[in-house]
Amino acid sequence: MLALKYLPTTIKRWKREEVELKPTALEVNLSDVATRIQRFIRTYVENAGVKGVVCGMSGGIDSNTIAALSALAIGGENVLGLMLPEKETYNPKDIEDAKTVADIFGIQTQICDITAPLEGFYESIPIFDPKEKLSKGNIKARTRMIYLYYHANKLNRLVCGSSDKSETMMGYFTKWGDAAADIAPILDLYKTQVRKLAVHIGIPSDLAEKPSTPALWRNQSAEGELGIKYEVLDLVLFGLERFMASKEIAEQVGLEESQVEKIKKRWLAVEHKRRLPLSPKLEYRTVGTDFRLPHSIY
Amino acid sequence: MKEKIKIALAQISSRREDKKRNLAKIEQYTIRAKEQGADLVIFPELSLTGYVVRDQIYELAETIPGPSTRKLEQLAKETGMYIIFGMPELSEKTKATVCNTSVFIGPEGIIGKYRKMYLPTHSVFEEKRYFRPGYQAVAFDTAIGKIGLCICYDIFFPEVTRLTRLLGAQLVVYISASPAVRRSYFEILTAARALENTAYLAYVNLVGVEDGLQFWGGSRLVSPAGEVLAKAKYDEEDFVMCEVDFEDLKPAETFIPTLRDLRPELFDELKKSSERL
Repeated sequence: MLALKYLPTTIKRWKREEVELKPTALEVNLSDVATRIQRFIRTYVENAGVKGVVCGMSGGIDSNTIAALSALAIGGENVLGLMLPEKETYNPKDIEDAKTVADIFGIQTQICDITAPLEGFYESIPIFDPKEKLSKGNIKARTRMIYLYYHANKLNRLVCGSSDKSETMMGYFTKWGDAAADIAPILDLYKTQVRKLAVHIGIPSDLAEKPSTPALWRNQSAEGELGIKYEVLDLVLFGLERFMASKEIAEQVGLEESQVEKIKKRWLAVEHKRRLPLSPKLEYRTVGTDFRLPHSIY
Repeated sequence: MKEKIKIALAQISSRREDKKRNLAKIEQYTIRAKEQGADLVIFPELSLTGYVVRDQIYELAETIPGPSTRKLEQLAKETGMYIIFGMPELSEKTKATVCNTSVFIGPEGIIGKYRKMYLPTHSVFEEKRYFRPGYQAVAFDTAIGKIGLCICYDIFFPEVTRLTRLLGAQLVVYISASPAVRRSYFEILTAARALENTAYLAYVNLVGVEDGLQFWGGSRLVSPAGEVLAKAKYDEEDFVMCEVDFEDLKPAETFIPTLRDLRPELFDELKKSSERL
């Protein structure tokens, strides 16, 4: 057996038949992960020659965690946490939770009420249908993105994204909305891992365990919409990541095989949300296909 | 040939696509090594250009000799130093055929080069897309000893180091660009390759962040008995001086006589079996 104690980071399980889909499978060296994420943020901010980062702070666990990690990496004075409430989903507890984290980590904050521009969109779209929640909700996510990028441009900063691996694999985000960012420090961590990392770096545990919501409409629940608890979903996704068969995953996590297949199909079907738009191959090198450049030259 | 040599493990980060800046850093570290009495200074894999350069490799690759090696030849001549570093090598016979190469330069000029044989193309690695593999192991008989060159993923294939040793190398220099999630493998394999071949093994890894990859550093000199004699820091630039005493090969070879006990007929069987895998 390989000396597993020497494995320093997340790659502890390398042999498929040894993977046991129990909560322990998702354990990572939190200290090491936190260090690597901070180094990543610090390097990109330094190399990009910008003055810091802008984070959306919804009060949820992902955004609280990336704001805190950014503050630990580059100092809270270089992190702007934008709170972007609007009247339909307004919840004072979310603002309070974001402020709690901002205070702990010395993060600068700014509240911008986005109700007026949203109403402007609703009024100016001839086919706008207030009863159709998803299209309307996506306007909210994309409007928040506009605010983040305005501040980043104006203040010479990077937008630090809060996407995690669970929602990204499931496509549970708004295309060109909440996933839009310059860097995504927790993109390779499942939701349950983010929660543990959050507590490890000093975020109060009640905030770490707070149910997730994209806040596209009132009382929206991520787990409700996904139809599964993150504790189970993350194990399914972890199994898929390691090429396990749906049947094997289902047996280990106690789901029907059809349920795992449904998750797998959704993961594969939403690859388009994770990539540049597809283009027909017409020329010598094609953007997004075989125009293969470093992500940045730094 | 000297029986004892001093080596500097120059564990640097590279600025991608900025050969001028990287050459300046190589020069700076070489002078520092000279000042500290080193005979040989070793830099990481592709340290001339950075590792994650993708299609830009075609703009960055140079022939050997070429502009960058000429600069380092001059530096070696001026300092009296031996320098090993990594760069994308453009084949002289082509316009865009590139190898991942380790270059060995001394005060007398270019001593030789080694083209990486095993090109990782899995997980985050895409080397076969860009590089032609090498086909020859190398060992050079120099004024500072019998030195062989290998690169990074070659270490997973014991036959590469073994062949290098059988060609006469008593010090095998591995340059590397290994990201952090693979650290444990290299920590095990550097010791194993040194021990099973009763040779010194110097391993110099890149550091820094390139796209999402974080190179872990941890450069080291391993004794012919597999002992880590010197080790650089993890994850950050470092410069470590260490010493190789070629006299130590004798007690190692007598106590661990793997070279004496080699069974050549097994290599025929190995060839046949690997063809049938």
